[in-house]
Amino acid sequence: MARVNFEDVEVGQEIGPLLKGPLQTPHLMRWSAAMENWHKIHYDERFAKEHDKLPGLLINGSLKQQFIVQLLKDWAGREGWVWKVNFQFRAMNIVGETLSVWAKVKGKREAPAYGLVELDLGIRNEKGLESTPGSAVVALPYRGREAVPYPFVPPPAG
Amino acid sequence: MALLTDEVRKYIGAESTPFPACDPVEKGAVRRYAQAIMDPDPAYASDEAGARYGGAVAPPLYPAFMFRTPFGSPDVLTERAHDPDFDGLVMGVRDGLPELPLHGFSLLNGGAEVEFYRYARHGETVFQKSRYADIYERETRAGPMVFVIIETEYTNGAGELLMRARKTIIRRK
Repeated sequence: MARVNFEDVEVGQEIGPLLKGPLQTPHLMRWSAAMENWHKIHYDERFAKEHDKLPGLLINGSLKQQFIVQLLKDWAGREGWVWKVNFQFRAMNIVGETLSVWAKVKGKREAPAYGLVELDLGIRNEKGLESTPGSAVVALPYRGREAVPYPFVPPPAG
Repeated sequence: MALLTDEVRKYIGAESTPFPACDPVEKGAVRRYAQAIMDPDPAYASDEAGARYGGAVAPPLYPAFMFRTPFGSPDVLTERAHDPDFDGLVMGVRDGLPELPLHGFSLLNGGAEVEFYRYARHGETVFQKSRYADIYERETRAGPMVFVIIETEYTNGAGELLMRARKTIIRRK
C-alpha cells in the first residue's frame, strides 16, 4: 500500500471508487455465515417480501460498511489511519446490484503529529441511487515525517 | 400512533458489564470474514504484513462482529422454528443488553459512527461494554419508527481501546 502524504491531498479530490458486485445471494450467504448472523431478510426471500414487506433480499448494511472501511483503509495505507467513519443506511440495496463505494475530500486540518483529512462518502448502485451517505476523518503523515502513531492517538482536543 | 411505551423507554441508560467475546480472534474465522468482505489485505493473514500493528490482525470492524452465541446456549433457531414472526436474529447475545419488549417489530440497521484506535490481533480476546444511549420515536415517510441508539466500547484483554461504535437500530411494526 502506497504512502499518501497529507500535503499531496487536495480538497475536492476523489478516492476510489471501490467496486463490489454484482452481489448475489451466495455473497450474502457467505457474509451471514462468516458473522453467524441469520437475519432472514438476507436469504429468505418469502420472509423478506411477505413478512417484512421488502422489495427483495437486502444487501446487508453490515457488509456495506465493511466496503466503506476497506476503501478508506487502503487509501490511507499502512502509514495513515482511518480514525472516524460514520454512515447512514438511508436506502436499500437489493441482491444483484453492483455497489460503487466512493469518497471525496471535503476538508483538511493540521494536528501536531499528522494531518487530518475530512471526507464525504457514499455507496452508489448502477442506477445512481445513493444508499449510504456518510463522512470520515483519516489521519495522514506529513511529508518526510514519521507515520501516524499506532495505536492511534487522537489530536489534542479542539 | 405511539409505538414507544414507557416500558420500552425505561431501558434508556441500561448497560452491560464488560464481557468477552466467546472466542478470541481466530485465524480461520478472520480468513472467512476477510473472504466474505472481499478484502484481501495481507495483514489479515501474515505477521510480516501486519508488522505495523504488531502482527497479523483482523479487519478493522471485526471486533464488532465477534459477539456470537456461546457454546451451550439455548438454540433459538430451533426454539422459534414455528414462530412466523421470527426474523432469524438471535438478539441479546451480541451486545449483552436486555432485549427490548418490541416483539413483532422488524429490525433495520440505521447506520453507525465508529472510531478506530487499534486493530484486534490474532489470538487476542476482545471485550465489549454496551449501553442503550437513547431510544426515541420518529415519524417517517414510511410511518412511525423507533430508533434505538447503542454505544459500545471494544477493548482487548489488556484493557486497551480498540474501537468505539454508536449504532442506530430502527424498529418498526
